[in-house]
Formats: sequence, C-alpha cells, structure tokens
Amino acid sequence: MKAFLVIAVSIMLAVAISPILLAQWPDYPTAAVPMLPNGQPNMEGPTPRTPDGKPDLSGIWALGRGGGGGGGGRGQRGQGRGDVAGGANAAPPAGAPAPAPARGAAPAPAANAGPPVATFFDLGSGIQGGLPYTPWAAELRRQRMADNMKDNPDAHCLPIGLTQLHLHPQPRKIIQTPKLIVMLYEAQGGVRQIFMDGRPLPNNDPQPWWYGYSIGHWEGDDLVVETTGFRDDVWLDVNGSPLTTTGKMTERMRRPNYGTFQTDITIEDPKSYTKPFTVRVNHRVMLNTDLIEFICQENEKSSQHFEPPSK
Amino acid sequence: MKFRSILLGVALAIACAALPALAHHAFNAEFDRQKPITLTGKVTRVEWANPHARIYFDVKNEAGEMVNWDFEMGSPNGLMRNGWRRDSLKTGDEITVTGWLAKHAPRVGNAGTVTMVATGKRLFAASSEGDANAR
Repeated sequence: MKAFLVIAVSIMLAVAISPILLAQWPDYPTAAVPMLPNGQPNMEGPTPRTPDGKPDLSGIWALGRGGGGGGGGRGQRGQGRGDVAGGANAAPPAGAPAPAPARGAAPAPAANAGPPVATFFDLGSGIQGGLPYTPWAAELRRQRMADNMKDNPDAHCLPIGLTQLHLHPQPRKIIQTPKLIVMLYEAQGGVRQIFMDGRPLPNNDPQPWWYGYSIGHWEGDDLVVETTGFRDDVWLDVNGSPLTTTGKMTERMRRPNYGTFQTDITIEDPKSYTKPFTVRVNHRVMLNTDLIEFICQENEKSSQHFEPPSK
Repeated sequence: MKFRSILLGVALAIACAALPALAHHAFNAEFDRQKPITLTGKVTRVEWANPHARIYFDVKNEAGEMVNWDFEMGSPNGLMRNGWRRDSLKTGDEITVTGWLAKHAPRVGNAGTVTMVATGKRLFAASSEGDANAR
C-alpha cells in the first residue's frame, strides 16, 4: 500500500510538473504580477486598474474549470497547464478565506454563486431542463447533433460563435484602452472589437457579422457589452445551439481579483429561445506566455473524412 | 482501499486535465470510439501544421506488405503547451501508436498515445485521447 502511494503521488507530481519543464517558445515574463511571500503569483491579489480607475481586463486568459466539459461527453479541457498560473478554480472554493478586496473591487464570488456555468459543448448544461429552445431551434440542434456536429464552423476553419470563443480551450487575449477593447482569440484567429466611445448599436440593418457588432460601457466594476448584428447561422456551442439575426448578447465582464476573469452572458433571440437565459464562463490568467498562431486553413484534412449527414 | 481508489481517481483527473483538446471538430464527426487500434511502424512523415499535426507511418500488414497510415493529433499550439516540438518525431523513428480508426477513411486514425519503441518514452498528451468520449 505504501509503495503504491509513493508511485501514485510520484505520477501525479510528474504529470503536474512536466509541462512546466517543457515551457513553450516564446517565453517572456508578465509584468507587475502580485507575488506571495513564497515567491508564487498571488492569484487572489488586487484587481489591476487602468489610470482612469477602471478594472484592467488586459491579459491572456485560459478557460477556467467548470467550463470545459459536459454536454456530449467529457468535453474539452484547458490547454497545457504549465503556463496557466491560476488555481484549479477560477473562483476560490466555498469556505476559503476571502481575499483582501482591492479598491472598489467586487469580492471574489463563491464557487457556487451566480448563473449556471456553461460548457463548450452545451451552453445550457448547468440549466435544469437545458436551454429554452423554440421548437425550430430544438429541431435544428437535434439535426446538428445527429450529424455529429460536422457542420460546426470550427470544423471547417470558419469563425465560431462568440460563446464558443469564450469557452474554447485555446486562450484569448484582451487589450484594453479607454475607447476600444480588443479581444484576440487564438481559436480561428478570432478578432473582436468592443467600442467604448459611446456610439449606439447600429440600427441601419448592417451586414450581419460572424461576431456581430459590440459596444460597451462600465457599470461600476462590471464591463457591460451589448452585441447585435449576428449572422443567421451562429453556433453558440459545439452541440449546435443556434443564434440568429434576431439575437442579442449582453455580457457582464469582471475581474474580481488578479487571476480571475468572469463573464455572465445573457442571450435573447426570440427565433431560437422562448425566453432569455444567462450563463457564466470563468477564465484564469495565464502568465509568462502569449498567444500562439493558429491558422486553421494551412493543412485542413479532417473534413474530407467526415461522414455523410444522417437522414 | 477506498483511499486508493480516490487517489487513483485524482491521478487520472490530473493526467486527463493536462491533455490537449481536440477543439477543431467533434471526435465523432471523424472517428469511431468503438474501433480502438494499436499499430507499430516507422515514421515516414510528420506534418506539424494546423488544425491538426499528423503523423504518417509504415506498418507491415498481415500479408507482409507495408501500408502507410495517417494519424491525426492535436493542434501544434496545444501540443507545444504539452511539451511537443516539431522535431519530437523524426522520419525513421519506430513508434507504437494507440488510437481510434476513422469511420469513413481507410488507414486513418486519431492518435491517443505515441510511444518511442527505442526508448519506451511515451510522448505524453499526444493527442485527443481525453476527448475520446466527447462528441
């Protein structure tokens, strides 16, 4: 028994440490990381702020726990752990000592507080009974799943729904300026602009976009982002929950402490859903790393092996 | 005994969490989890490219003929974060690959593990093994 324990613990340590030993190129230290007395990054340290006092969401963010699986199976997980500095959970465990709040910062949420956590495969996996699909949407999703989700835009190197980008195992980077916030997604090379200059959402029937048109404003320490102008064929998750041109997405983004980025997403789309719903996505900061180029089209061969649609 | 089970579960959970994800397409769109396979052969080509790295290797079939196989792995960014490099496998290396067959393409598979025959070194997190049960 003792020998078994030694072996088991050794395996766990080896697995946990091995990616660190094989850190990827390029490696460049993140600046201004709050540190603990033991020299480790303090993930529960104060929320960084910009000169105008707003929470600074800038950074590289990995999908946090609770957002990676479910739906069709064990699902997706975060990328390599070696460069992910966050703890196992984006939010501290219930009962953990509350971190000292930063000036004006929202306290870190308890693990079980807030809206149900979404997963990459199933946005509604945490909602009892699932998402409130209209009959049209339920049938469309059923067909997409029956076809093994082979027409998810991701599988054809096309832009994927914003909620898939939020939940994708590949990381994302936020660049924050007072008038414009840019989100770069490693997945499918996604680029998103959030206009912070006070402009309204367009009402001139704009050309629908894969990522829609986003405007944002601050409500306290929450960044509230409204997005409309979507295409009619958005996949919100891998299982094919739809979003259409009648859809609107409202995100409340916050950084409750140094290591945590949290987004509550409300979807309204009368064509697809009988009522609005809200789900949460947790991210944790990645240190000493950056996005890696991902050009999907360079050698795409998988789709030629997909099975024909089931009828 | 119960403690041992818990410990093993924790070890497996950590191992699985470190696996790169098959994010480009759903596993079931291309592969059949009911058709696991293990093959040993020599690497003939490595394509270190997106959206999936691919290894091609020659395997002697039951008739004694050399047959070339094409196995899909994770994307280079995910593999890199788990310690792979584009020269981790070289032409001529003898490898044992475990994985799953494609549903509709002959001699195509998804790699779960890749083991170097010469050294026994298992290239950890070689592929989308952790997503074998994912749709």
